Amino acid sequence: MQYSSATLIDKYLRTRKIPSTACSGCGLGINHKVVVQAIDELGLEPNDIIWGTSIGCAGRQTFATWKGDGFAGTHGRVYAIARGLRIALPPEKKIICTVGDGDAFGIGLMHLIHSARSNADMTIIVNDNLGYQSTGGQFGFTTPQGAHTDSSPYGMFEHNLMSEGMDVMHILKGAGATFLARHVAMDGQRAVESVKRAILNPGFSLVHMPYPCPTNFASRELGSRNQVNIYRWIKERAKPLEEADENTVWATGVWHDATGSRPEFSEHVWASVNKIRKTGAL
Amino acid sequence: MKRFLETGNFAITEGAILAGCRFFCGYPITPATELAEAMSKRLPQEGGVYLQAEDECGAMHVCIGASLGGMKAMTATSGPGYILYADPFGWALGCEMPLVVVNSGRVGPVSGITGAPGQGEFYLTRYPTQGGNFECITLAPNSAQEAMAMVVEAFYLAERFRMPITVLGDQLITDGFEDITVPENEDEMKEMGFRTWPRGSCAGPNFYPFTDDLDIPPVQMGSGAGGLCSDWTPTVEGYDIEEVEAHHKHAYRLIYKVRNHRDLFNHLYEKKYMDDDPDLVVVSYGTPSRVVNTAVDKARSLGMKVGALRLINLWPFPDEHFTRKTKYLTVELNWDGQLVREVQRAAPKDAAVHFLGTCGDLPTIPDLLENFEKLLKNQPLERKGWELEAW
Amino acid sequence: MKDRLEIVASGFGGQGVVRLGQVLGEAAVKEGLRVTMLKSHGTEMRGGYVRAQVVLSPKTIDSPMCENPDFFIALSSAAYNRFKDTVPEDGVILFDPAFVEEIDEKLACTHRELPAKQLAMDNFGRPIFSNSIALGAMAKLLENELDKEVILESLLEIIPKFHDKNREAFQVGYDYMS
Repeated sequence: MQYSSATLIDKYLRTRKIPSTACSGCGLGINHKVVVQAIDELGLEPNDIIWGTSIGCAGRQTFATWKGDGFAGTHGRVYAIARGLRIALPPEKKIICTVGDGDAFGIGLMHLIHSARSNADMTIIVNDNLGYQSTGGQFGFTTPQGAHTDSSPYGMFEHNLMSEGMDVMHILKGAGATFLARHVAMDGQRAVESVKRAILNPGFSLVHMPYPCPTNFASRELGSRNQVNIYRWIKERAKPLEEADENTVWATGVWHDATGSRPEFSEHVWASVNKIRKTGAL
Repeated sequence: MKRFLETGNFAITEGAILAGCRFFCGYPITPATELAEAMSKRLPQEGGVYLQAEDECGAMHVCIGASLGGMKAMTATSGPGYILYADPFGWALGCEMPLVVVNSGRVGPVSGITGAPGQGEFYLTRYPTQGGNFECITLAPNSAQEAMAMVVEAFYLAERFRMPITVLGDQLITDGFEDITVPENEDEMKEMGFRTWPRGSCAGPNFYPFTDDLDIPPVQMGSGAGGLCSDWTPTVEGYDIEEVEAHHKHAYRLIYKVRNHRDLFNHLYEKKYMDDDPDLVVVSYGTPSRVVNTAVDKARSLGMKVGALRLINLWPFPDEHFTRKTKYLTVELNWDGQLVREVQRAAPKDAAVHFLGTCGDLPTIPDLLENFEKLLKNQPLERKGWELEAW
Repeated sequence: MKDRLEIVASGFGGQGVVRLGQVLGEAAVKEGLRVTMLKSHGTEMRGGYVRAQVVLSPKTIDSPMCENPDFFIALSSAAYNRFKDTVPEDGVILFDPAFVEEIDEKLACTHRELPAKQLAMDNFGRPIFSNSIALGAMAKLLENELDKEVILESLLEIIPKFHDKNREAFQVGYDYMS
């Protein structure tokens, strides 16, 4: 991972994990920088944020990079841990989790949905490298149709969460998420602005951020580890929501903003508990 | 002190609250549902939070989150839910997160019989997760009153050892009614032998020292100490590392912090008629031990030289009770024989170790007496067909 | 009282068998006795067979099982047939003829008939008071062990509705046994 801004690193990140052990050309660093940039632009300090991470490339590479407190969950469970932590933390502390697509949309989908359902204040950044890359490159539930991976040598043909008109965002919106956005790694400042809104939303926010994996995904699907090719491949398939057409795989921008539409989970729980404690009823 | 005729679930709830538990997350399952229900009623009255999770795996992870934020947390389930704890249990062991886990045993495998007592999770509470390289502590009360005391004790041990502790009950203990004495203040708690330990917060930078020391407060998120914890092998500071030597040091801590401090819990057992070198020692835990106690009283009145050893602390297994070369009989609520294997391992090579199992129902006193007599007369425990004695 | 007094109540689900045991247990707690009570039933909450096993003692109770009950309150013929043989010679079976139509004359124990359902219909026009009648009858049978007034007090605590009628019903049962 490359960080152009040395000041961001100094202020927020642990130098011990920078540079990371990510593969050359990995797009995760761009996503990571988008998030840190958003935090900086909001004027937040390392102690304002507790950073959670998942299993897989996205989790492992971002774990213990944050200068403040950080935790990593078992595969798919970081959302449930974050939900319990939300109850214990003061409301002004933010929880940001950088996770992968397999973690969020595969093994952890039920826990993710229940965090959305309860509108627990946390910002989930799903760094989608289009499959299970840390295990060598198998398809996931948001891998584009037809993509060749180690476990889809004939092309990915299963129905998934991003094919045939499906979009994982619909599930999360239906589950009660109060802020949803999608950006590809090369969206730059547009992505930073969305992440800022996600962090500010006092409730469940998720930003889906597909990013290029030159080593495994690109080498199988494009036959090349040249990062330029996979960056172009992703860029060609992404369009802002308002311009999206039938060839668009990733419609980008703010998908859903229901900030303030219903009470935040821990606030609601504590208000209810305090009322029961005082009056014996709700 | 107040006395109630109430269930073990009520006793466990009150014990948890006395120990400072202010967070419970569970998933409905017979026969632990009433414990969740009691928590849902009592916790808000005490300013605590009750949550219901999407499944048991989620429930224990939510508890981990609350504990990670500094709250004393508990979850409760039965066998089919306890196996879904495997994932979070490993995390809590590795990250050394205090938690109390109640397992009310029923009849298995899988759903089996919901409303009957079983003891099929003796070994599962020793290895509740994968990977090995850890010790576990399991406490098995045999009454509602003792369940209350053991839940308080579990919170105490969980804090001092920084780890999840299993309280293993059975359907009769959690669902059964008993007269229960509840202390009303700290003096009464002390009088009843209840010990508590406050939650601290590790200020770092050494979050995972490679020692067997107790009383190191757990990592806490939100404390601002830069705390780190993960599912990977940690360095002293909590960074993830893939190195055999670091793993060895971490494993040493997880194993020996328990093995080297057994004095904190190895007094948790009960002996009856064990001073005159009995010819037969009946070993049990949980509800069956109560029938065993009654049967042993009766056996003594009939002139049989029988003693009873009841284990409360099941893991690490208290080998020290099995040094004598004599006859042992384990009485368990399962047909496969679990406790018996451990007694066989711990007892001298030439000791005779026998097994008497039932499941779903307690053994009866005449049945126990008949078996005592046979063993004392060196007769085999005869059974037919599917009742063949394999041990 | 003796070191160990065992009471079994058994019948259909929904008859209030567990409550019956609970009232006697609660009264014993109030009297300073040690108490255990096991309840067993199938997974169906209603309609299946239900059994409450109550043990009372001035000392710590080991086995909570009633292997030889001093009192057996039989509220269905299935329950009667299942547990009648466990009652020892000096034990008492209290049965309601509305549910237990035929009794086993060969048994050495004492049978006491209590037409609780009929008494409830005659006095109150509703069968729901038969439990309080049965508890009144038990209060008479247990007069050497438990104070009648304490049992009544426990009954009113555990059954929060219709206090006047339950009090009356309790007396009807008590008088019937006297």
